Amino acid sequence: MAFLPAAGLVMILVGVGSYYATRSLHGLSAFSAVNLALGVLLVAAGAAAQLRSFRGFAGAASRRVALRSLALLVAGFALAIGAMVAAQRWTARLDLTVDELYTLSDQTRLLCGELGGQPGPPLELVFFEDALLAKDVRLLVDAYADACPALEIRDASRHEPPAGARELYTTTATTVIACRADVCDPIGYPSERNITGAIVRLASQRMPRVYFLIGHGEVDLANQGESGYSGLAGLLRDQGFDVRALVGPAAGEIPDDAEVVIAAAPERDLLPEELALLDGYLARGGRLLALAEPGLRSNLYSDLLRRWGFDLPDAVIVDEVASPLLEDPSPLNLLIHLFAPYNPVTRTLSRRTMVLMPTARPVGLARKPAPDDRLERVAFASERALVTRETSLALAGRDFPLDAAAAQVEPPVAATGSYPRGEPAPGAEAPRHEARVVVIGDRDFVSNRLLEALYNRDLLLNAVRWLAADEARIALTPKAWTPNQDPLTLQQTVAYFYFLAFALPEALLLLGIYAWWRKQA
Amino acid sequence: MIGRVLALARKELRQLFASPIAYVVGTAYVALTGIYFFQHLVSYNQLLFVYQSEGLTGVGFDQGTVPSHINVLNEVFVPAADDFGLFLLVVLPLVTMRVFAEERANGTDELLFTSGLRPWEVALAKHAVTYLFVLGLLAASAIYPAVVIARSGLGFEHLIALYVGQLCYGCAIASIGLACSSFTASQIVAAVLGYSIPFVLLDFAWLTNTVSEAVAAQLRQVALLSHFGAFPRGVIELREVVYFAGIAFLGWLSSLVSLELGRAR
Repeated sequence: MAFLPAAGLVMILVGVGSYYATRSLHGLSAFSAVNLALGVLLVAAGAAAQLRSFRGFAGAASRRVALRSLALLVAGFALAIGAMVAAQRWTARLDLTVDELYTLSDQTRLLCGELGGQPGPPLELVFFEDALLAKDVRLLVDAYADACPALEIRDASRHEPPAGARELYTTTATTVIACRADVCDPIGYPSERNITGAIVRLASQRMPRVYFLIGHGEVDLANQGESGYSGLAGLLRDQGFDVRALVGPAAGEIPDDAEVVIAAAPERDLLPEELALLDGYLARGGRLLALAEPGLRSNLYSDLLRRWGFDLPDAVIVDEVASPLLEDPSPLNLLIHLFAPYNPVTRTLSRRTMVLMPTARPVGLARKPAPDDRLERVAFASERALVTRETSLALAGRDFPLDAAAAQVEPPVAATGSYPRGEPAPGAEAPRHEARVVVIGDRDFVSNRLLEALYNRDLLLNAVRWLAADEARIALTPKAWTPNQDPLTLQQTVAYFYFLAFALPEALLLLGIYAWWRKQA
Repeated sequence: MIGRVLALARKELRQLFASPIAYVVGTAYVALTGIYFFQHLVSYNQLLFVYQSEGLTGVGFDQGTVPSHINVLNEVFVPAADDFGLFLLVVLPLVTMRVFAEERANGTDELLFTSGLRPWEVALAKHAVTYLFVLGLLAASAIYPAVVIARSGLGFEHLIALYVGQLCYGCAIASIGLACSSFTASQIVAAVLGYSIPFVLLDFAWLTNTVSEAVAAQLRQVALLSHFGAFPRGVIELREVVYFAGIAFLGWLSSLVSLELGRAR
């Protein structure tokens, strides 16, 4: 009678197996269902037959043992199942991925804290648990659920998307959609950066307006090439900024809604009227981010920035320990790892969160425009870095003399200035307005090529947030993991394949034959 | 006490590696995982080639670039590792089927008990040896993933997470197989049971469409595969480790009770 349960189990096995083999074609087929049903019947019949032939436990002692064993089994099952159910509520995890992909960044945690105190409808993440990438994203969504109590996570099926998200559900790759009331924001590839970006956009009470000065050879915002700033423009929009262009010569004035003006390394002089406009804007409490570059001789650096306390000599910083991170290692590539620890622009950066700058210009400090102004150098090249004024020779990659006097210091590559102006309002302690300026001696560190390198984007975002008086949101942003995408060539793959699929199994089989032969002998 | 367990474990280990079945199972597992990994790597290489080809220029990608989410982790490592569990299910019952059933069929289990060993010691030694075999099996198959990890910059910690998961999963399946083996004297029946139970427990997707959502959610909680997903992605979750440890414990407990009942009868 042992045949019945064995046959039943085989039928159950075939039923489940055929389901898995054909589930992409249809659901549970008649063949699978019949096998499963018959299998269960046979197992039940076999079990019943076995019970009839059960010898039982003769004698009181053996019955005691049997009862004790059964009690042990029941208690053990209860204990194990209880532990498993309790453990489902524990969220303790060990994230061993490179860059801790499933551990939320400082920025996301900060944002989660903000959401709790926000009025209005709650923000929700609609997670399609049967989407193509659902398995990969589940861990990330769980991390959001743990860290953001104010964020509602709703599991949904792609067959029945929720009303608000229905129009945005376009492909099977759609995995997460962020919604607030009737407004939904589709999330492309569901990485932490994109999910957090969508939350920022939906949660933002205001969108600070950032103007990029153009018309003097500045870096092009629309340029998608390696040297362009299209990535930076996208990043700022993702972070809740409204990015606009400010055409220098045509602008009769700087708009009142300009919270930050960015001058991305103008190559030519600004008109005197434009300089006066910028000067007046700063005097009214404006905010300016100026990116410089060695070899450029715009009057923005020599006139305007000098007036506001910055000294940008026509020089270039050289570090013989060249960064090996770039394809073209050169002593002009700098790994910036020394930062002012208490300045809001650099307080999140340290030796472990470096910035990569190819060819940077030293940014020193000149005379303060007013005694109450605060000027500070905030980022520095390494102790071994030197400064040379032979800029053209250095940029051309030719031999050049080093400035021995500058060799003794860590050359600064970024500086900030804050300028309180105007009498305080009646009853207030703070001045009416405070102009702010950040100067960084390199423009390429946030080009499309290097925006994602190390913590380049964080330095720039910190600067823009500080200028926009959004210090509370200064935090390290989620990192984009950039693995080596070509780990093995096809030839290497084949070589390993020969070893693993043939040589290793062959060796194991030979060992097996030897063991068998010894046993026979 | 520990000495007796170790002595029995040594004997079991010798017995396991004196029979060709351990080598055949090892060969099958290493070959299956190697071939499978190779297939994924070849597909990935072809995908890279397609992305890098000029044909895609102007359709959203700059020439010569590949979106960062197309990487060895998402395209090779995770899908391959997700399925490694299935291979363990294919090979492990072949090892576990004989562990208790053979002793019972030959009557040597009586000898064990008359030599002073307690049932829990016997169950512990046999389970421990089988877990050790699972560890060896995984170690032999780790070379390919290790090479890919080293070359792609995933970090060896990621490999540790995967193999902790595989070990937990393998021990759970082995425990079920050992429990099945302890309840019968027939190795065939033990093998059929050892395949059937984990296979049914693997993923209740075949059943969830026909039951209510609440029941389906509970079934998903029980399914083996739903607890394995975090490990290939480089995350060790305590609750998943507890789940697999719980199954292994239940397997050991079932073996123990089976031995006790056999002795009582």
